Amino acid sequence: MFPTPIENSSSLIRIGYKVILPIALFLWLLPLLGIAFTSIRPAADLDAGNYFGWPSNFAGVENYTSVFTRSNIGYYILNSFKVTIPTVIGTLILSTLAGYALAIYNFRSNLIIFFLFVAGNFVPFQILAIPVRDLSIDMGLYDTSIGLIMFHIAFQTGFCTLFMRNFIKALPVVLIESARVEGVNDWKIFYYIVLPLVRPAIAALAVLVFTFIWNDFFWATIMSQSVSVRPITAGISELKGQWKAAWELIAAASIIAALPPVAMFFMMQKHFIAGLTLGATKG
Amino acid sequence: MAKVELQDVRKSFGTHEVIKGIDLEIPDGAFCVFVGPSGCGKSTLLRMIAGLEHTTAGTIMIGGKDVTIVQPAKRGVAMVFQSYALYPNMTVAENITFGLRMTNQSKATTEKKLSDAALILKLDRLLDRKPAQLSGGQRQRVAIGRAIVREPGVFLFDEPLSNLDAALRVEMRTEISRLHAELDSTMIYVTHDQIEAMTMADVIVVLNAGRIEQVGSPLELYHNPNSLFVAQFMGSPKMNTFAVELSDYGHRKTKVDLPNGGFIVVDGSERLSGPAVLGVRPEHITIDTKGELKGEVVLSERLGPETMLHVDVGETEPVIVKEDGLNKLSRGDQCALKIEADACHLFASEGQTIRSGSLLD
Repeated sequence: MFPTPIENSSSLIRIGYKVILPIALFLWLLPLLGIAFTSIRPAADLDAGNYFGWPSNFAGVENYTSVFTRSNIGYYILNSFKVTIPTVIGTLILSTLAGYALAIYNFRSNLIIFFLFVAGNFVPFQILAIPVRDLSIDMGLYDTSIGLIMFHIAFQTGFCTLFMRNFIKALPVVLIESARVEGVNDWKIFYYIVLPLVRPAIAALAVLVFTFIWNDFFWATIMSQSVSVRPITAGISELKGQWKAAWELIAAASIIAALPPVAMFFMMQKHFIAGLTLGATKG
Repeated sequence: MAKVELQDVRKSFGTHEVIKGIDLEIPDGAFCVFVGPSGCGKSTLLRMIAGLEHTTAGTIMIGGKDVTIVQPAKRGVAMVFQSYALYPNMTVAENITFGLRMTNQSKATTEKKLSDAALILKLDRLLDRKPAQLSGGQRQRVAIGRAIVREPGVFLFDEPLSNLDAALRVEMRTEISRLHAELDSTMIYVTHDQIEAMTMADVIVVLNAGRIEQVGSPLELYHNPNSLFVAQFMGSPKMNTFAVELSDYGHRKTKVDLPNGGFIVVDGSERLSGPAVLGVRPEHITIDTKGELKGEVVLSERLGPETMLHVDVGETEPVIVKEDGLNKLSRGDQCALKIEADACHLFASEGQTIRSGSLLD
């Protein structure tokens, strides 16, 4: 069996494994634990310098409620959804269609177009920051949700198309040929045969793009200003205050901000089932 | 039901020509098998008839209509793929009726055709299953069912049995033959297995390197091959061959000098002298103390009803002799082989037949 089960290893390795694993796990989770503890600490603890010790009393309820009362975080969460959901949907539609075309049809410039999609991923976002901001101002899209959505879709479609094209390319091509011989038109082949089979890929991309857009700070700060547009990642900074950063509130807001991607993962989880093409061809 | 005609059909991938000019007429209702070694172009030719491959040059006619540039769906063909190509997300019933539903056939006809096909193929109990829950043979039957409901003029089979195990292959072979008799359609069947070709075909087309080597009925190809290639391809175990020297024996007879000193005399050879290849099938060699060829048994394959003896006579490959199943000879035994002169084929060194050993009337 590979890898060898840990129970069958020498005692030295077994003990080492049992000692090192919890330490590694603790170190890995430390930042997350730090945020979680800070979010339930009373402000007084932080003022007194009790950053890492045990909280003097549980202030979770006050902290989490004051995040909502002392800032516009409700708006920001809504703004994030307003940007993230259309981006995920738009990206998936475009990249699945483009991936299908690039994987199935043999047209002359197929590979060139495919490489363009791939090459787009190598351009660093930072280089594009100023041109994109200027362009969005010229187009009247600066500080609007639609502007953020459009630029996000443009940047995400490259990678997603690469992913979908390769996934569709791996499907048995006879399925499509067989449907063609049966006289099924291409849109129907896409909808009834390809789409059900790429569901795991769509689910994976949905989670990936959702998390990425939700967590995006870069474009959120560059492309938005007003309370009605700012996504939560940019909005959290509002809690910094004028003279003093309210770290317990920032921590609480961060935990709230992190929840939707986690929820998204669990929602999509059941679609990640492998072996959907089982039985299509000789297994 | 439709006749299929190919006129000087060619296919190139880039500069590489894989189909080098095929002229063929497959009569209406015939069971035609394309057979040949891998890479001979048989699958490509079938896919060209189906319309899945572009035809570089030449004309393809189905049912008297030129379909060379017609889309696959409009050619009146149905295809069964080697890998079944079932839609994994659909049940058996949905798989079979997919094409009908997508081309807006009425619900009543769809139901009727589905139940007819299910009955013919004994799939009626499996209609609600998904492909993953079926065995290989059942999957292949679903694939055939999908072809049947289209009621095509021509059925195209691309090595449909090569993914099945041996026993199931024999069963499906008879089933496809029965289907041909029942449906009375033209069927074109591609295989590399000469046993499938022999057992199922009305007409066999032997392909080699993109060209037709020979067309004929199974027995005609077996007994009367017009080249060494066909002779060796048809028949299992394959025909024994020896490099021999011919000389004139008088009275239009030819003396064939065997490798280790013996000779046989045959009549009717086109050439009377020079180098040639002697071909003789395992069933036309017998163990006989007066035989021309002496050798030693190196392997005996006991199949039950018969035994295949591999006899080393000093050539690079042993001679295979088909003997009775009760034959006692085994590895290490010395024996002499007698060759039935009438059944001897002679081939020129370029490969074409110069004497046919046909035993047909």
